[in-house]
Amino acid sequence: MKVALFVPCYIDQFYPQVGIATLQLLEKLGVTAHFPAQQTCCGQPLANSGCERDALPIYQHFVQTFQDYDYVVAPSGSCVYHVRKHFDKLDQTAAVQHVRGAAYDLIDFISTVLKVDTLPGAFPHKVGLHLSCHGQRGLHQANESEMTPVRDGQLRRLLASLDGIELTHLNRNDECCGFGGTFCVSEAGISARMGQDRVADHVLNGTQVLTGSDMSCLMHLEGIVRRAKMPIRVMHAAEILNGVVA
Amino acid sequence: MSASRDRILAAAQANKPDELPLPEVPLFGGDATAERFASVLAGIGGTVVWLEGLGSLVPTLQQLFPEARNTASPLFRGTVPVDAQTSTGILAEIDLAVLPGEIGVAENGAVWLPEANMLHRALPTITQHLALVLDHRRIVATMHQAYAQLPGTGGYGKFVAGPSKTADIEQSLVIGAHGARSLVVLLY
Amino acid sequence: MNHAIRADKFLLDADRTTWHDETLWFVREKRDKAVYGVPEFQELRELASQIKNHTLSRLDLYLQEFEAAAQANGVHVHWAADAAEHNAIILDIIRQQGATRVVKSKSMLTEECHLNPYLIQHGIEVVDTDLGERIIQFRDEAPSHIVLPAIHLKKEDVGDTFHTHLGTTKGESDPQRLTEAARQHLRAKFLAGQVAISGVNFAIAETGGVVVCTNEGNADLGVNLAQVHIAAMGIEKIIPRLTDLGVFTRLLARSATGQPVTTYTSHFTKPAPGKEMHIVIVDNGRTQQLGRPDFRASLKCIRCGACMNTCPVYRRSGGHSYDFTVPGPIGAILSPNIDMKKHASLPFASTLCGSCTDVCPVKIDIHTQLYKWRQVLGEANEIPASKKWGMKFMGRVLASTRVYGLGGQFARRALRLLPHGLTHATSFNAWAVARELPAPPKQSFREWYAKQPQPAPQPQPKLPA
Repeated sequence: MKVALFVPCYIDQFYPQVGIATLQLLEKLGVTAHFPAQQTCCGQPLANSGCERDALPIYQHFVQTFQDYDYVVAPSGSCVYHVRKHFDKLDQTAAVQHVRGAAYDLIDFISTVLKVDTLPGAFPHKVGLHLSCHGQRGLHQANESEMTPVRDGQLRRLLASLDGIELTHLNRNDECCGFGGTFCVSEAGISARMGQDRVADHVLNGTQVLTGSDMSCLMHLEGIVRRAKMPIRVMHAAEILNGVVA
Repeated sequence: MSASRDRILAAAQANKPDELPLPEVPLFGGDATAERFASVLAGIGGTVVWLEGLGSLVPTLQQLFPEARNTASPLFRGTVPVDAQTSTGILAEIDLAVLPGEIGVAENGAVWLPEANMLHRALPTITQHLALVLDHRRIVATMHQAYAQLPGTGGYGKFVAGPSKTADIEQSLVIGAHGARSLVVLLY
Repeated sequence: MNHAIRADKFLLDADRTTWHDETLWFVREKRDKAVYGVPEFQELRELASQIKNHTLSRLDLYLQEFEAAAQANGVHVHWAADAAEHNAIILDIIRQQGATRVVKSKSMLTEECHLNPYLIQHGIEVVDTDLGERIIQFRDEAPSHIVLPAIHLKKEDVGDTFHTHLGTTKGESDPQRLTEAARQHLRAKFLAGQVAISGVNFAIAETGGVVVCTNEGNADLGVNLAQVHIAAMGIEKIIPRLTDLGVFTRLLARSATGQPVTTYTSHFTKPAPGKEMHIVIVDNGRTQQLGRPDFRASLKCIRCGACMNTCPVYRRSGGHSYDFTVPGPIGAILSPNIDMKKHASLPFASTLCGSCTDVCPVKIDIHTQLYKWRQVLGEANEIPASKKWGMKFMGRVLASTRVYGLGGQFARRALRLLPHGLTHATSFNAWAVARELPAPPKQSFREWYAKQPQPAPQPQPKLPA
């Protein structure tokens, strides 16, 4: 199994520890992932801004970079969703189709491909799970409150399997955090308010560690937590899982 | 025919997608019991009262609506005779209308009320209180069965589910907006 | 003026924003409860979607079938290409009656066509009889929600309005008593109404009848007391068969308010003896939308408002921030079809979270259409120039490994070295108004990775020379 690691641009630059944890966690699960150094970005920031045409060379670069791997794993469901859903704008060559199908969010890869639902290890903290919309509604990694009252999902199961962990019961299980890519600056007021409301739900219900599998949402929420100096630690799920698994 | 008609139809024809299939709608199943009907109706502000038989209709109504002075019904001799020609002024004074319902829907507490059972089209909404009399054997599970059983919609007809209500002020539920302030379904 | 600016105004009152968000979230929760209670709900959504898709694919034929059936029922059928023609037809019908008093139940189409000001300008008294609509009519405001037109107002606001217009006690804000005052006031209007205008929820091709759904009973009361009924409908309201209503009536109210069904589901098929019934069928941009393959599914909308109640942006920016008859996510995909320039910011008023798509009872791919409208707007140069050129620049950087690596290094170094006051200056960094920037690490992931012992040989990616 040839696995490539895709580290989205903002993780590469601002959250290298998340990329490192992803690589190490995969290693512990028996997968040696390779990081092709020529990778850049999935192109989503441009496309979501209405500049899909300008993103096409980025898409092509992405496909060329990853076409020879069986899987492309990223600690960001949003980028993966973009590759799977919006690379339909490229000519659907065998390489493009392959890369679209080979792209996996890290947690999705662990659950669906490696078929790992539980992990040994302890994390004795109250953990609030932030479901990223693109992972949840886009990649169907978790149940949606629009469909069912049952709160279930890949990351919830993995976290719940840790010893000593307590998962926060949020009032709104899957409300968007308001990051939304360039939305976070073009609609900065609403974006901030959404993030503040999301964090308030965690504070109200006792979250100590706020986690999720999409670093872009977490970057936004962390920015709000740090600005308001709240006693919440924000960690990517890869950091938690890599930290507890021996 | 108007030029706009032709233009609209031509544009619709030119711009529509290739034909897509019309699905068959299954009837689905569901709970068709009077108990379900009654509990759903209670949840939307209506009430079910059981009659021992149609013979006990009038005494039951007297018990339920002791204050009602102006009553209209095709089922017994009310105090106000109403037909399609009855004036607006007289209709506006009706306290209680008692009308036969045709089909009850357990999933939502609705009752089908055709024009033929209304005396006047405005009566079911202009009356202050509405009582619908329904054979409990005519309760079906869902709207699918209800529509499947309708012989047609006539000139006018409606499903009535509970009393008139609104939540337009701060989402506060208020019973009695413009139509009947209360709804009782008398099951027999 | 774009959506973000109008939203910022709404956000200024933080407590009111909280209240607005929570009030509409409460409606969303009621919807959830109702939906969870119907095991076949998802199947019904799929059926509704297919019925609507099918109808759109034969729209011209169903419209003609409907017209013929309605005419056979003794109904006058009129066709209006646009808002102006719609308004003129309705005024003409009213004038032929020599009528001056009109009662109207809720119709988003007549809002879209700005019928009220037109009729008033021509000497007709038009009374909106839906409570929420009457409230905003008194206040000379537009509806802020298609199902809950006055949801932006608190009961104290309504109390003030009714004190001014209906003479209720000053300070009275009890919804029960305010509603009773409106009931008495509107009863008189109903009794005096000569012409009743209603919207249409569904028009049945098979029977030629129209269905109007209300909770208050105002459509029934208005129509059945007046001499003339005028029903205004967009061409997309058609459904093929009477039994299709089994699907739509099960979805509509549950999605809208969490009720199992609206209080009144009224079928108007023939005029009462001696009375008149008119149906005005309106295009006003709809056939154009039908011709846009990416966006025609927006015509499936049954106007339940669920996408508004669930939208985290709508709940915090209010309906008026959209400045369009239909606000929220569905409005943001309908409005650019009407005026792309004016409504250019609306498809961007979304995080693309997708909740709208997942609550939509007819499965409109709303968030995908928002994304696609962004592309159309980008191609049409209807996005801010700074954004456009910034994205072009980013496109070049991100398509090249080397340029990308240098840019990232520069950004991190700048963040580390520049003072916080400069990197977080809110005048040119919208991020920093409410958020800290990430703490810049000393090295990027790729710099770290380059120093690690390399794993087993991996495939050599093929890159262009």
